[in-house]
Amino acid sequence: MGIYNFRGGVHPKGYKELSADKPLKEFLPSGELVFPVSQHVGKPAIPVVKRNDLVKVGQLIARADGFISSNIHSSVSGKVKAVEPRLNNAGVMVESIVIINDNEYTLAEGVGEKTDYTKLSAKEIIEKIKDAGVVGLGGAGFPTYVKMMPQKPEEIRWIVANGAECEPGITCDDRLMQEHPEEIVEGMKIVLQLFPTAKAVIAIETNKPAAIASMKKAIAGDNRFSVLELKVKYPQGGERNLVHAVTGQYMESASLPASLGCIVDNVATLAAIYKAVALNTPLYERGLTVTGDGAAQPANYIVKFGTLASEIIPDEGGLKPGTKKVLLGGPMMGMAIPNTDIPLEKRNNALTCYLEDEVEIAQGKLTNCIRCGKCIRVCPLGLYPQMMAEAIEKNNLQRFIDVHGLDCIQCGTCNFACPAKRPLTQLFKQGKPLAMALNRINQSKKEGSK
Amino acid sequence: MSTETSTFKHVSSSPHLRNPLTTGGVMMNVVIGLVPVTVFGIWHFGLHAALVIIASIASAMLTEYLFDLIAKRPNTLWDGSAVVTGLLLALCLPSQCPLYVPILGSAFGILVAKCFFGGLGQNFMNPALAGRAFLLISFGKVMTDYSYDAVSSVTPLASLNSGEAVDLGKMFIGLATGHIGISILCIVIGGIWLLVTDTISWEIPVASTISFVIFLIAMSGRGFDPYYLAAQLCGGGFALGAFFMATDPVTKPMTWSGQLIFGCLYGFLSAVFRTQGSMADTTTFAIIIANLATPLIDRMPVPQPFGVGKKGSSVIPSVEALNAPKRKSMIPKSAIILMAITLVAGGGLACVNMMTADTIAENERQAALAAYETVLPGMEITSDDALTAQVEQFAETGYGDGAFGRVYINEAVVGKDSSGNASGYAISVSSMEGYDGEIAMSVGILPDGTVTGISFTTITETAGMGMLANEDSWKAQFKDKNVEAFKLNKAGGSTTDEEIDSVSGASITSGAVVNAVNAALDFFHNYVVTG
Repeated sequence: MGIYNFRGGVHPKGYKELSADKPLKEFLPSGELVFPVSQHVGKPAIPVVKRNDLVKVGQLIARADGFISSNIHSSVSGKVKAVEPRLNNAGVMVESIVIINDNEYTLAEGVGEKTDYTKLSAKEIIEKIKDAGVVGLGGAGFPTYVKMMPQKPEEIRWIVANGAECEPGITCDDRLMQEHPEEIVEGMKIVLQLFPTAKAVIAIETNKPAAIASMKKAIAGDNRFSVLELKVKYPQGGERNLVHAVTGQYMESASLPASLGCIVDNVATLAAIYKAVALNTPLYERGLTVTGDGAAQPANYIVKFGTLASEIIPDEGGLKPGTKKVLLGGPMMGMAIPNTDIPLEKRNNALTCYLEDEVEIAQGKLTNCIRCGKCIRVCPLGLYPQMMAEAIEKNNLQRFIDVHGLDCIQCGTCNFACPAKRPLTQLFKQGKPLAMALNRINQSKKEGSK
Repeated sequence: MSTETSTFKHVSSSPHLRNPLTTGGVMMNVVIGLVPVTVFGIWHFGLHAALVIIASIASAMLTEYLFDLIAKRPNTLWDGSAVVTGLLLALCLPSQCPLYVPILGSAFGILVAKCFFGGLGQNFMNPALAGRAFLLISFGKVMTDYSYDAVSSVTPLASLNSGEAVDLGKMFIGLATGHIGISILCIVIGGIWLLVTDTISWEIPVASTISFVIFLIAMSGRGFDPYYLAAQLCGGGFALGAFFMATDPVTKPMTWSGQLIFGCLYGFLSAVFRTQGSMADTTTFAIIIANLATPLIDRMPVPQPFGVGKKGSSVIPSVEALNAPKRKSMIPKSAIILMAITLVAGGGLACVNMMTADTIAENERQAALAAYETVLPGMEITSDDALTAQVEQFAETGYGDGAFGRVYINEAVVGKDSSGNASGYAISVSSMEGYDGEIAMSVGILPDGTVTGISFTTITETAGMGMLANEDSWKAQFKDKNVEAFKLNKAGGSTTDEEIDSVSGASITSGAVVNAVNAALDFFHNYVVTG
């Protein structure tokens, strides 16, 4: 298999070298931990503990509510201080469970016990993944067990481990593939047990040769596995591009990877599946990269959920003086946070700290759109961002829908490439919900007239 | 640093990284790409060319600055687009033009084509070319006077069109007569720079060149003639247009397919104007018309999002996909209706023309006869085979090898008196050098060479000026004169028989008429009396 490429994309400066050689290190929090009940796509979970309850590591503290929802477990042992609304990373007050760490890390009953997963039935495996609260760790946070139950399981032909890690700066998946390739491979074997006829593909960008070598070594001798090398380019890890890389088929926005016989999971998610199924360990910690020129010590940590960002990058010692911007996630899709007193959760894979705010600098160079068409050339989905932006600026939502604005994944590629520094992605983030609302209104009107 | 700023960080929407390339950077790349051709132009044409360039850029910048100031808009000079406009305009001007030409042209281009429409990114046509079109209309003579070093000379394309040989090598390097940005070599070097820096993409230069060559082969009547094609590619402003003007980001389509269509349109129009048109300038109008088509072209290709319409997409279509409304055609209905109306109307006109063609020809015949009768009163007009044969030898080339300007002898007839003897001749002659094209007239001549009078059959000169030539009093100046040739007296107050007073303010019209009459006389003396 050659090195896969796609049409479009950009090359933002990677600066992965800041943290690429830093091994994953467990970060032990000392203060209180905050667990928002919504750390995933879907309905918020329902707290099952109350004030003054004692909890242990891996204990269920909030249970999934409905089909698309996820369990939440404590990452420390200690005492529940409160169940109250707290500020989450999106700047919204969310019902949260606050736990005071006793620093003992007493494991809950059964956590860490080995199970021979080869003896488990498909139903049992899916149940374990569900109970462990495994969600997509690439950033979306979609409950993983739902993905494991496609409508036609016999048509699943590929299990894809997404190790592209195309976001600049982030290295935690890279480190995971280097340090614990067996966890990923075991995780894939568990998924393969669900879909026995499928093949397993691990997709990695070629700027991670150590990870590629490590994964190749881990899969040696098993002909169901292969490693797919991807050209270094943003956004190489996008699901639709990845599915095309593996299957050679194009996936529409309206369909899921399963419709093309694919199950795509982030490498960290697969490792979480392994821990959930084989080690009975629920998802309560994950890899997280601290990087950027504003980070005093770039590093890769295993962070326990609920840890406040300010513990990892305190103003004194964690951030360099004068740091202007802190992002949850990478620079292309990450979210800027106004202050670091927010809890880290399942979807956060990085803390990126900047001394300079490029957006602020760019705003000074904002001009009218010069219609150069660069945004169109770089869009990984073949959309026309200029026309989409124009439609939103003119408040013409129907036009936005007509030029397929709803297909946009808000990867920020067009915004990065724009020489006129137009805030394209921001416009799409504002316009997409409005356009979807219009779509729903149109649909209900149509149904009404029938 | 205050506590507040240390606690609260900047927030903004993702992405938080930006490409270092800015609008100013794009414009700077274009300017860098233009450096070789500019330097060559100054070296080749001398200091005055530098002055033209400086005047043009300065005027462009000043106009934009003043407009921003008066319109209370933020100063936009730093984006560099005014510099590009000024420089591009200067590069397509003659090197020795007076400095008011670039100053006015840049000011017009920036103010009318750009600022009035909302500034950078909003102009519907290339401001530099808008300025050039304005100059062509206003100062036609200055704009086509390519003499330098006090030596008047013709451009290679003009030589090529008149069938002379041109030196391809010199044309390519730029050692020829023409506008300042003449070196094709330097333009290609600059174009490669633009391609390498990703300032432009390959679609427009490639598509326009290919379509230009194909349509030249189809329309020039020379077939596949590499020498001719190469000369056409190297001559005029086509190359400068293909690399630097048609690729102007604002006025070109944004999509890949749109740019291919746009490039083909530019190449096609250039070929049409070069082979079929009479204008000296082809690039300006080819690009401007293509610019006007850009909004339509941009609306035509609907994006095909990743996967939509691709073979093998969605083995199992989702419910949403099945319920999704059919993609609407992006060509507005009104455009289709308008096109249909145009087609019907055009077809109708063509039919009417076909049906009335005979009538029109008959009418023209009657008009000619009437003119003959006017100049040969009381005579019976008959055609003479020997005379007709004499006329026909000049039918293709025109009469007099340019001694009378571009004149054609259309017809010569004999006027017979009641006894059937030839007692006069009428010669129908056309001059193509009227102020507004053709002037056709009949000249009546007696066998001894006396002019009996003239009568116009075609004259469409300026009302109140050139049209005054059609007044009887003016035409009477030719009446009953027996001279070798007439002479135009622009000052008026003629005393001799040869001299004809010019119509006041219409010396071009008067000159054309005098030339035509002289041609008729010359024809009479050389081919009618002796024949």
